[in-house]
Amino acid sequence: MSLPAFVNEPVLELRRAAHRNALLSALKDLDASGPVRVPVWIGSDRRDADDPISTDPGNPDRVVAIGATATAADVPRAVEAGERGFTEWSRLPATGRAQALVAAASWLRERRHQAAALAVREAAKPWAEADADVCEALDFLEYYARGAVALEGGESLLVVPGERNEMRYRPRGIVGVIAPWNFPLAIPLGMVAAGLATGNAVVLKPAEQAPGCAAFLVEALRAGGVPAGAIALLPGEGDVGAALVRHPGVHTIAFTGSGPVGLEIVRAAAETPPGARHLKRVVAEMGGKNCVIVDADADLDDAVPGVVRSAFAYAGQKCSAASRVLVHESIADTFTQRLAGAVATLQVGQAERFGVDVPPVIEADAQARVRRYADAARRAGTLVAVREEGVEDVGWFCAPTVVAGLPGDAPVLFEEVFGPLLTVEAVRDVDAACDRIDELPFALTGGLYARNPHTVEHVVRRSPVGNLYVNRSITGAMVGRQPFGGNRLSGTGTKAGGPDYLLHFVEPHVVTENTVRHGLII
Amino acid sequence: MLPPSASDAEILAIGRELSDAIPSPARRPRAALDDKAMDLASQDAQLKAALFRFVDVVPACRSVDDLAAHLSGFLSEVDAKPVALEQALRLGGSRAGRAALGTAAAAGVKHMAHRFIVGESPQAAAGVLADLWKHGVTSSVDLLGEATVTSAEADAYARRCSEALTTLSRAAANWPAQPAIERDSAGELPRANLSVKVSALTPLLRADAPELGSRDAAPRLRALLRRAADAGAHLHVDMESYDSREATTDLVLGLLAEPEFADGPSAGVVLQAYLRDSPELADRLVRWVRDTPRSTPLTVRLVKGAYWDHEVVDARQHGWTPPVFEVKADSDANFEHLTRVLLGARTTGAGVRVAVASHNLRSVAHAVACNRASGHPDEDLELQVLRGLGDGLQTALASSGLRVRTYCPVGDLVAGMAYLVRRLLENTSNDSFLHEQGAGVPLERLLAAPGGAT
Ligand SMILES: Cc1cc2nc3c(=O)[nH]c(=O)nc-3n(C[C@H](O)[C@H](O)[C@H](O)COP(=O)(O)OP(=O)(O)OC[C@H]3O[C@@H](n4cnc5c(N)ncnc54)[C@H](O)[C@@H]3O)c2cc1C
Repeated sequence: MSLPAFVNEPVLELRRAAHRNALLSALKDLDASGPVRVPVWIGSDRRDADDPISTDPGNPDRVVAIGATATAADVPRAVEAGERGFTEWSRLPATGRAQALVAAASWLRERRHQAAALAVREAAKPWAEADADVCEALDFLEYYARGAVALEGGESLLVVPGERNEMRYRPRGIVGVIAPWNFPLAIPLGMVAAGLATGNAVVLKPAEQAPGCAAFLVEALRAGGVPAGAIALLPGEGDVGAALVRHPGVHTIAFTGSGPVGLEIVRAAAETPPGARHLKRVVAEMGGKNCVIVDADADLDDAVPGVVRSAFAYAGQKCSAASRVLVHESIADTFTQRLAGAVATLQVGQAERFGVDVPPVIEADAQARVRRYADAARRAGTLVAVREEGVEDVGWFCAPTVVAGLPGDAPVLFEEVFGPLLTVEAVRDVDAACDRIDELPFALTGGLYARNPHTVEHVVRRSPVGNLYVNRSITGAMVGRQPFGGNRLSGTGTKAGGPDYLLHFVEPHVVTENTVRHGLII
Repeated sequence: MLPPSASDAEILAIGRELSDAIPSPARRPRAALDDKAMDLASQDAQLKAALFRFVDVVPACRSVDDLAAHLSGFLSEVDAKPVALEQALRLGGSRAGRAALGTAAAAGVKHMAHRFIVGESPQAAAGVLADLWKHGVTSSVDLLGEATVTSAEADAYARRCSEALTTLSRAAANWPAQPAIERDSAGELPRANLSVKVSALTPLLRADAPELGSRDAAPRLRALLRRAADAGAHLHVDMESYDSREATTDLVLGLLAEPEFADGPSAGVVLQAYLRDSPELADRLVRWVRDTPRSTPLTVRLVKGAYWDHEVVDARQHGWTPPVFEVKADSDANFEHLTRVLLGARTTGAGVRVAVASHNLRSVAHAVACNRASGHPDEDLELQVLRGLGDGLQTALASSGLRVRTYCPVGDLVAGMAYLVRRLLENTSNDSFLHEQGAGVPLERLLAAPGGAT
């Protein structure tokens, strides 16, 4: 089997009414069919239950998923089942595994409207974002399938007469995936697909806020032909994730989530319990405090909408979202005024309504956290804009807020808020902006609006971030086009959707064979 | 029903006549001084990019020094620099040199801008408009502006438009009578004419939620329609990128169907022939005109479409089939098809006025020939050109007794930059008629049917 070259899955052309209607009718069907079922799913053992396990952030009375909840006691069973599954799965050539992933992609593609509707309900993703999430999930399957096939060819090494050198990559064993809710399809599936494509068995612990989406993904993988033993689903709370990380049978942990949890994982993974026979490897994608620099020569017609989108789309709940703007003092007043006006046009509302920019945040705790930061910021600085219109009582809404004039040591300038809150600082020049960015412990994404090529090159050299976007919004990384991941405390420097991501899931083996017999090269 | 088509011989004859009537310096319109720069630019992609990026950033530069820094920044990325530019770059090395370079470059950009932009305000433009009128040329004013990202900006644009309607109709009242361009078979034609953009009337245009933008723009456009009705002026709504087409169409047709606008003002929409689905929109317009009880005709301006590159790039980035034709001749052929559809809709008494907007001699000659073939007098077809790009054609059309309207952008340099860059791109695009005409392609080939013998 040879696969055609990778291309990104096209998002739906939502400017055409037919596509919008198809999505709306998928949502209607989803609502009509009642809550989705989420099992604890280990091998072919499926444990169901009727407990509500996720709700609609826009209407917490609406149950989105019902099912069973895994406990730490399920972890050893899942790992053991995975070990058996690993034997079967890792024996397949990469092309065989790729075939299963591509078949899973087809299964999911046929149900893309349904998947998007589920993300709308369970994670309150507005339609365009939900659809993009489906596409990115498909991209990960297709991209890593091809990547694994290429990787199986190994690396070429120096050759001298009489010696054959080979370098090959082999799966490590069990990958524990601990996934977030904010890209409820793409991120879990990306980490899972990387593990599977390279021949590992995977135990997936999805975010407790989005188990329904995760169950859908596991269904897709199994329908595509991934053996039941190679992918387990453990919907549950943090204790399940913690047990997974600590389990001696787990080889690699792929994590996307908050900084504190990520650091805890790195610590726990470093321990080698008695009997351990390998070092655990951690691929972690953590928080950010992402800054956008707006230089004096920026085109504000682009910069203002770009910053607004970067900060407030999906209520700022993306690791890549902008949370600080550093604007050249000579245009700070104009910029801030236009920014305030643009924020006043944001559409706050339910995710299912086309045109909504700012849906409710994921849960009550998130709402409380965002409001706490917003209040503190408003007390310490000057309010530039707050968009209350559309904020409903039902649903975890937070009003998009912009604050300026904060003291240089205000916590909100350094801590990740993960919500619709943006701060503005005027800076003397681009270097002053770079200095402030350099003080941060994070280095995930960044933005620059500037038109002088020398300035662009200068900032590119100084910027520590994993993904820098010039003269565009700073979210929406695409597989194969913007390999994504942060540096410093934002992550392990790994690049999801990039050419070297799969290397973190394999072990290199070098074989050197002597080909000289009786002085002759055979 | 399509009107009878015109023979190629007739089209050729009209085309020749028009070509002969183009004043000679303008027959090679790219011979003027600032055309040198454009000539250079169309030969070298990197140079073109550098110059356009420079033109684009001029309004954002804070000083001549800053201007010079940007210019040398852009030029340093060009591999093969013409001698003059090498010299310019060397100037950038000293303070005095930078001052000279920055000043010269700014003057150059201003000069180019003045070719396309008639004045800083409607008041300032009034003289040019009166002069056009005296030469038998009508106009439509377009107020340039920055992008609208806030409601205040949308309000400000609407206010400027409203004031412009007043200013223009007052100014036009003093113009001398010009019977040949003041009426057609459908009746009197307003002298004052303003073109507006929906993207400037609302910050809420969203491709996936067209009703959001049209709802937000509606009160502002409604107020402008009232003002136009009071002032006896024509209000034309331009068409922009495909992302906003549904919002724009629904908005305009929705408002014009409101009872208060049944007897005016004179108003119009735009049909873009480069869109694959433009025949469906044409049908929708014709049906709307037939089914809507209005006593004033709807003017339909037929264009090819100004956002071709954007549409193609945007579609490619998303993995979509572009909504536009990808072969130039397909746009041209569809333009001719739609010309006949619109002219035909007029003859069924549907109350359509047809305005054919093109600088392409073939497209224009075809429209003139079809109009004549349908038995209508020449004044029943309006031809439109853009200020700065269609000046020669404008003169030729007027002197041939055809009714021509020139689209006149008004605004300051900052506001005009996006417009200017778009026009410059158009002028240097290899696929454009003006480029071919300027490059000396023989008239027979220029006038050949789209996709035909050439
Ligand atoms: C008075 C006036 C008003 C206008 N108003 C509008 C408006 O409201 N909205 C709008 O969008 N445009 C508008 N235009 C611009 C117009 O759409 C054209 O961009 C411009 O007139 C050039 O077309 P042409 O017929 O003059 O020249 P030509 O050189 O014959 O045609 C150039 C055009 O062909 C098309 N084209 C170029 N390359 C290709 C290709 N490879 N495949 C398919 N098609 C291609 C493009 O539309 C391009 O603009 C207006 C033009 C005039 C004169």
